[in-house]
Amino acid sequence: MTDTTYDGPILEIDKLSISFFTRLREIPAVMDFSATIRPGEALGLVGESGCGKSTVALGVMQDLGVNGRIVGGSIKFKGEEMNTMSRERLRDIRGSQIAMIYQEPMASLNPAMKIGKQLAEVPMIHEGLSESDALARALEVVTDVKLPDPARILKSYPHQLSGGQQQRIVIAMALMSKPSLLILDEPTTALDVTVEAAVVELVKDLGKKYGTSMLFISHNLGLVLETCDRICVMYSGEAVERGSIEDVFDEMQHPYTQALFRSIPLPGANKNARPLIAIPGNFPLPHERPTGCNFGPRCDYFEDGLCNENLPIEMYPVHGNDRHQTRCLRFQEIDWNAPIDVGAQTAKPEPGRVVLKMDNLKKYYEVAANALFGGGDKKVVKANETLSFEAREGETLAIVGESGCGKSTFAKVLMGLETATDGQILLDNKAIQDIPIEERDTKTIADVQMVFQNPFDTLNPSMTVGRQIIRALEIFQVGNSDAERRERMLELLDLVKLPRAFADRMPRQLSGGQKQRVGIARAFAGDARIVVADEPVSALDVSVQAAVTDLLMEIQREHKTTLLFISHDLSIVRYLSDRVMVMYLGHVVELGSTDQVFAPPYHPYTEALLSAVPIADTSITKKHIVLEGDIPSAMNPPSGCPFQTRCGWKSQVANGLCEKEVPPVRILSEGHQVKCHLSDRDLADMEPVIQIAAE
Amino acid sequence: MEPLSWTGALGTFLNPAFGIAVICLLASAFIQMVLSFTASPMRMQSNADGTLVKRGGFLGMFEQTTQAALWAVILVILGYIAVGALMPYGQAGIIGAMSKQFFPVWILLTVMFVLSIAFKRHLGLYGKLFDSIVGMIGFGLVMFWVFTAILAGAFDMLATFDPLTQVSGLKNKTPGVTVPDGTVGSIPHYLLGGDNLARDIFSRMIHGSTIVVAIAPLATLFAFMVGITLGLPAGFYGGRLDTILSFLANLILAFPVILLFFLLVTPEIVNSPIPTVMAMVLFIFPLIFFAVLLNSRYHTQPAKRTPILVVVLGVLAWLYLSLISQEGTSVAFLPNWFDLFDINSGILVVFVSVVFVNSPTVYRIVRGLALDLRTRDYVAAAQTRGEGAWYVMLWEILPNARGPLIVDFCLRIGYTTILLGTLGFFGLGLPPESPDWGSTINEGRKLLLIFAHPALPPAIALLSLVLGLNLLADGLREESLKD
Repeated sequence: MTDTTYDGPILEIDKLSISFFTRLREIPAVMDFSATIRPGEALGLVGESGCGKSTVALGVMQDLGVNGRIVGGSIKFKGEEMNTMSRERLRDIRGSQIAMIYQEPMASLNPAMKIGKQLAEVPMIHEGLSESDALARALEVVTDVKLPDPARILKSYPHQLSGGQQQRIVIAMALMSKPSLLILDEPTTALDVTVEAAVVELVKDLGKKYGTSMLFISHNLGLVLETCDRICVMYSGEAVERGSIEDVFDEMQHPYTQALFRSIPLPGANKNARPLIAIPGNFPLPHERPTGCNFGPRCDYFEDGLCNENLPIEMYPVHGNDRHQTRCLRFQEIDWNAPIDVGAQTAKPEPGRVVLKMDNLKKYYEVAANALFGGGDKKVVKANETLSFEAREGETLAIVGESGCGKSTFAKVLMGLETATDGQILLDNKAIQDIPIEERDTKTIADVQMVFQNPFDTLNPSMTVGRQIIRALEIFQVGNSDAERRERMLELLDLVKLPRAFADRMPRQLSGGQKQRVGIARAFAGDARIVVADEPVSALDVSVQAAVTDLLMEIQREHKTTLLFISHDLSIVRYLSDRVMVMYLGHVVELGSTDQVFAPPYHPYTEALLSAVPIADTSITKKHIVLEGDIPSAMNPPSGCPFQTRCGWKSQVANGLCEKEVPPVRILSEGHQVKCHLSDRDLADMEPVIQIAAE
Repeated sequence: MEPLSWTGALGTFLNPAFGIAVICLLASAFIQMVLSFTASPMRMQSNADGTLVKRGGFLGMFEQTTQAALWAVILVILGYIAVGALMPYGQAGIIGAMSKQFFPVWILLTVMFVLSIAFKRHLGLYGKLFDSIVGMIGFGLVMFWVFTAILAGAFDMLATFDPLTQVSGLKNKTPGVTVPDGTVGSIPHYLLGGDNLARDIFSRMIHGSTIVVAIAPLATLFAFMVGITLGLPAGFYGGRLDTILSFLANLILAFPVILLFFLLVTPEIVNSPIPTVMAMVLFIFPLIFFAVLLNSRYHTQPAKRTPILVVVLGVLAWLYLSLISQEGTSVAFLPNWFDLFDINSGILVVFVSVVFVNSPTVYRIVRGLALDLRTRDYVAAAQTRGEGAWYVMLWEILPNARGPLIVDFCLRIGYTTILLGTLGFFGLGLPPESPDWGSTINEGRKLLLIFAHPALPPAIALLSLVLGLNLLADGLREESLKD
């Protein structure tokens, strides 16, 4: 139902202000926000959590809930004011001209309705199409979102599809009525990297094909670089900088944008030579914003008497660039090309002796078909298959892989929550693979500790922070009296750079980054020598990520801890790890030093992973590899090489060997091994995935 | 002495006012309902000071009228109670006299509310309850009966006559009747009349509250202990243990409860050792619960654990032994000077049946919560620290399940209260002359068509207590979700 006669901007937001009203006070969520999206243009909206980017999207949809209210400004859709629109007109526009895609695909699909019916509903309601026409349209759109066997998909229920497929269906639903504006609210955050890359690719292609304008909300600068034409950076409810992608990425004119870029691990950053620079301080709460510039208290260029004057700061145009504006009073005085003030450099520590050795570790689960009576067929899930590696004292070993690759199972076996099916785990030459945690001695338990992924889950919500650390000390038999343990607990808080007053706080009074620090303090309570960090920063905002990562590195240097860093984010892995292990469906497909893994020859899966990770740097060109399909289920793994179903190099191997045999482990060079059938020549011919353009 | 009328001298002013207020309220509410089908909806508007205001012509006006009328009704009712309490005895009729009798309760309620509201920001969830009108009303109703029960049971206040004494000539007399000279009592009237054995209904209602308020929460607490001790491991371990326990729970839930009650109170069973044995099994659960709770927490510091365990378990064991040891039964092993109290075997039966009926439901709730909470990272963190299973269950999972459990506890006291009423109604458990509400309703039922007044007061008392508990649970649920 595209209106062809209109050729002005699709969406014009002018000085929009949105507030939420609570019993105590009004909380301004968005202030003085302006943006324009032209036909076919994609605008990226970037910022940390709580900065108001999702509120803008909901404001455009006029769906702010009972407490939310637009208190000023205007939103024009194709020249028509939306703030004063009648409910009927809004209902007309929503879903047909403006469509929205949310973060959780499962939550946006009705679990009790077949996909085809859900899709067909859209044109039936908005255009009055007959059911058969609508189903035909659905089939067409599902084919467009590149789902295999569209006819079968239309007949299935949402839970029968994988996360990536569900998100494609949500995108298909949004495209059913050929909207002129598509709002995407973090559409890929819940997906794995390789699946994310495929979905992003799809969104880009469809945007071109249908000529749809997009409002793309994300916290990931790299993703915005890959998908959008223009970008708007938000901080604490305000747009602080906006302009074209090239202008903002290469000639940023706001201190917050600059700080943001310095806190993300781009190629070239390195934990020893060029550590990340975290943004000091905390994100202000909406009702505790400072006077003057919101970013003032955290800004390197803060000038007293100017930046904290109680005057509204406008968006100033940057001359010479196309519609490039910044909300900074000093942007003309700041030397934006000044070299980065490199933080304290540290020497790379030499790895010490081997403390942990895995030898042919296997972990199989038996899944019974019938839980009540235990009978029926049993299926074997091979969660870990012949895992062998060594970890040395003071070394960071990154374990990389997507969901279902067996990294969490491996962590469980190492911690003793599960016992191994076969193989050995040697901790200081003592076999511990068969000793469950109840039978391990305190020393062993205290030596191997873990930092968890979700900061909101890692602390017990009904115990004070201090009490939780003291409990760990009690269990590890540190200290002889309560007073001694309390003293040690306060020292641990110092270690993770938290104020001592936090000891008596409840976890809900802490921010995500602070909780994660407490989690780290708890792990180090018994002077752990091996710490398994399971994606410790992936749920944190970028500026906090840098601070927590640096903290981990610092503690590691001091205590010579061996860090097993589980992650799917290759940028951060490159930044902090010494060696990298890539896992896929329970197999180690590649293992080597960071330099070896990040340079050719690669395992084909590593190559695809590297290509999938979005990098927020315009000077980088990437080889484009999009994996087909989804990760196979560990219940039903493919025959032969686990990666053969999605591998782009499969045709290079003769005789269909990949489908028949699991490849052997091959040593390519000192300490670098891959599990692949490709010939030496093919491996040698591989080109690097990431290339930094010559300046 | 003249018999008392309902409102006395107070009625001359307040009765017409009450009538007008009620009529206004009904009319305004009706018009508002009719208008809401046709008039334009109200629009929210934000003010400069950051508040929201509803604006809407006709409909908004009638909404305000309804509210004003409601306040008027409430004020008049408060007038009956407050003025009645202050006027000299007899002037303000039956309502005034009852209000005067409850004077200590009013004082306690006022003190409690003033203190709680003044310090509500420092009192956690209890303080937050005072942010919710519904929660405050519920809490007020519950505390009214709790204070009544305590004052009547422990200090022998409030009640005007002995609940068991019969006064000849007052059989089935209507409320406000004058007692003959020489009757032992604090006032010269039967405020709510006499029942068919010529006892004072008002005093019986007040003494009944003591029985209900003492038994219902305690019995519910035991049901919770049993449900929690079984539900936590079922949810935490899952697997076969869960399957078996859940099956048993389903079996008990499917069993006809009334039949069970009748079985439990047949004289053959009451006189057999079965109730005592069941009580022995049932009441051991709190001991196990606290022993495991404290041991899992302090087992790393034996120097601290042993004294704590000895003291706590010592006290609990003494209570336990006094509870089950009883003269004249097979388990009369404690010497009399050491035996703290004896429990009527009828009440024991009530306890057993309440626990039997309620614990499977509690089990299911706890199991569901444990299933959810065991996937949390802090549970994994405790396990990787090498904590025992019971520490994880009791200190990591249980405290975080407290929100839904507290709400359910309030609701369940309500169910138990009704269950007590049902038991009393069937004449089960408690002795027949007991003034508890269930038995009194049952007695009043027999002559309901001729004399309605003996059955109504205990029924209204039961209703208000259960309503209060339900509102309290609602308020708690509402407030615990906000943060």
